[in-house]
Amino acid sequence: MKLKLLSVCMAVAALPLLAHVGSPDVFFEGNAGPYRLLITIRPPQAVPGVAEIEIRSATPDVRQIHIVPLRLGYKGAQFSPIADSATPSHDDPQFYTGNLWLMQTGSWQVQVDVDGAQGPGRVSVPVPALATKIAGMQKAVAGTLIFLGLVLCFGLVSIAGAAVRDAMLEPGKQPDAARLRRSRAVMVITAVLVCAALYFGNSWWSSDASFYSRNIYKPLQLKPSVVDGNRLVLELQNPGWLNRSTDDLVPDHNHLMHLYVIHVPEMDLVWHLHPERGTDGNFEQHLPDMPAGHYALYGDVVHAIGIGETATGEIDVPAIAGTPLMGDDAGGSGPPVAASPARTVSPLPNGYRMVWERGDGKLRARQPQEFRFRLEDAQGKPATDMELYMGMLGHAAFVSTDRSVFAHVHPSGSVPMPAIALTQPDNPHAGHMMMESGLPAEAMFPWGFPKAGQYRIFVQMKRAGEISTGVFDAAVEP
Amino acid sequence: MSSLATGVERTTAETPVSQPHVPWYIWCSVAAVTFAIVGTHWDISWHRSIGRDTFWTPAHIAIHLCGVLAGISCGYLVLSTTFNPLSPLRDCSVWLWGFRGPLGAFIAAWGGIAMITSAPFDNWWHDAYGLDVKILSPPHMVLALGIFAVHAGALILILGQMNRATGELHDHLRTMFLYIGGMILVILTIVQMEITQRALMHQAHFYRLLALTAPPVLAGVARASKFKWAATTVAGVYFGMVFLIGRILPLFPAEPKLGPVYHQLHQFTPPEFPMLLIVPAFVLDLIWQRTKGWGTLKQAMVSGVAFVTVFAIVQWPFATFLSSPAARNWFFGSKYFGYYVSEASILARWGFLPLEKGADLWQEAGLAVLTAMITTWLGLQWGNWMQRIRR
Repeated sequence: MKLKLLSVCMAVAALPLLAHVGSPDVFFEGNAGPYRLLITIRPPQAVPGVAEIEIRSATPDVRQIHIVPLRLGYKGAQFSPIADSATPSHDDPQFYTGNLWLMQTGSWQVQVDVDGAQGPGRVSVPVPALATKIAGMQKAVAGTLIFLGLVLCFGLVSIAGAAVRDAMLEPGKQPDAARLRRSRAVMVITAVLVCAALYFGNSWWSSDASFYSRNIYKPLQLKPSVVDGNRLVLELQNPGWLNRSTDDLVPDHNHLMHLYVIHVPEMDLVWHLHPERGTDGNFEQHLPDMPAGHYALYGDVVHAIGIGETATGEIDVPAIAGTPLMGDDAGGSGPPVAASPARTVSPLPNGYRMVWERGDGKLRARQPQEFRFRLEDAQGKPATDMELYMGMLGHAAFVSTDRSVFAHVHPSGSVPMPAIALTQPDNPHAGHMMMESGLPAEAMFPWGFPKAGQYRIFVQMKRAGEISTGVFDAAVEP
Repeated sequence: MSSLATGVERTTAETPVSQPHVPWYIWCSVAAVTFAIVGTHWDISWHRSIGRDTFWTPAHIAIHLCGVLAGISCGYLVLSTTFNPLSPLRDCSVWLWGFRGPLGAFIAAWGGIAMITSAPFDNWWHDAYGLDVKILSPPHMVLALGIFAVHAGALILILGQMNRATGELHDHLRTMFLYIGGMILVILTIVQMEITQRALMHQAHFYRLLALTAPPVLAGVARASKFKWAATTVAGVYFGMVFLIGRILPLFPAEPKLGPVYHQLHQFTPPEFPMLLIVPAFVLDLIWQRTKGWGTLKQAMVSGVAFVTVFAIVQWPFATFLSSPAARNWFFGSKYFGYYVSEASILARWGFLPLEKGADLWQEAGLAVLTAMITTWLGLQWGNWMQRIRR
């Protein structure tokens, strides 16, 4: 047991990856009936575990919020446990917090019921419950357990010795030499048995830990190659995790994969592409013109149960004479990250520009916020000919410059659209905007930086049939 | 202190009993054991019915009370015996790490430390591997070991007194000794609860598992108590306790606070109807009454065969009955399931896992009998040793 304690303290598996890379928290902005809510769900790192829920209401007359976890996509009969009442903040009555147990690995939804002056409202937020790491043991806990374990082991040996030496003596009698010898022999035998028990316990612990480690999420990998000069072929590699397969992918915004190709380490070039899946299971994409260099690949896919994953890969490519971008494919450029520590304005062709309404405050890690971007014309006025880009006002990708974080975010948040659709089976347009005209020139993205560091933000909005890509930078403090 | 001076200690060979009564610390230990059993069954029911708990649920408080009461009684016994040179227990105590006290007090104290150790261990386990919604996990076994040691400590504490006492006091202590034996059987069946469910009762492996735990308790307590119906009494205590808990718990409302909820319930989910261990225990009592002249090994071999055979004869058809519509009521309790039991589960369909086939069946059946023989022999040896306990 002691060896195990030490080994657990020293060696801890850490795979902080989820549907996005390094950004496991779920951000969602939507309506619960008449109430506009920004919901943040921080899933547990171990399952079963506790998810932390934060809800901010943009509508001021909310009286009470109840939250309850339900399996998402479960086919059998399912009943609702008793809902928890979210706790309003003393400082901010529109801010509520709560905790919910997610008891099984898989796809869940947090059902949020709001009661207020405008009557009841409900919204459900999909959330994956995936074990991502095995927590280490703090030194104080390990020390305490080792001490108590030693007391128990030596105590047991001593009790066995006392049982043989003294326990059978008539009152007042002292043990003779033979009894003392027998006592010592029993203590040795007991010590051996204690060692055997510790060995068995250690094996059991190792077995349980090994079983649990098989539940630790293992992300999909992309094995890229370029053939025929400009055709990118992506083999989706499944490292084996539970019963996951890659033949159950469903379209998100009509595409099975949303691929971000980013020139690294400069991050000065980005493409948002949509490879098609061939009959051999591989994804293929005709590349546009690209300079030679090293590129990071982030491919977002969604499983039928509503869990999204980001498959990652890297590739070195020669200079590519490619084909023009078509359909929803788009690309953009900006200065290298090192040269733009705090970039909030991104120039675009024809005098247009994209502006990040960043505000003056510091950007902090683990703080949910709305990232607001506006497309302006040459006169600095909001663009008037806006169009939906794949059913949304915009798409944003947040990438840390050390590439440990990647998140593809929509105005509704970080949740994949097919997952939202599962929570609203009667709504064929769940999560998507239905307006086609009179669209605002602003797009807001609810998200939060998972950790401090330097980030690059790529924002794409569509106007007059063209997709504009804004490039921004952010320095995030702890 | 006055109880020490006027109680059991003067029932030693040197002094006749003037006012025979059971000392308070024995009652304290018996109460601790009872709280542990009630609390543990209540806690398991809580997790099957409500799911979410805190440190301060009534069930947890009952389990904590076990440690508190054991700590008070054992702490008092050890400290008063060690530091009071006039303590009447001093002459009938054992020595350990500079302390003196009855052997049972040290065993129970060891159990208390094990229970304390399990708390941070279990807490870390949940952080590392997620909440373990099962009984059989390493930290839970440390807790179970602790509770078992508190039981064993109480047993030895009573035994030390009982073996020195005579007359009415001896009979009182023997009754308590048998009660604690029954409680030990309850705690062992709790440890095996997950792997001895009704759906498994038509497998030979089920009888092998029970052969591992029931015979040593029945044999050890019977041999140590020298009471002719000891095994029957111990199994009766087990039956009565589990039956009562099982009938009382569903009278109280409960609703799941964790999901997913696959089975809607509105009351506490009780443990399954107690196993009919009382029947083989009765047969074992008869055997041991008629084989007093036999050696321990021969007794164990006959007893092992008898235990497995008789238990299978009564439990197998009774399990069939428990799975029938006639048992789906409050009395037999077969209608109750945990909230997490889906309608597709074999439990919810009142089914049985299939009996082993061919060589596997014979191997499991043979191992069940062999296990019962070995554990009965160990139990009888343990009983022989306990007969000689004086301190």
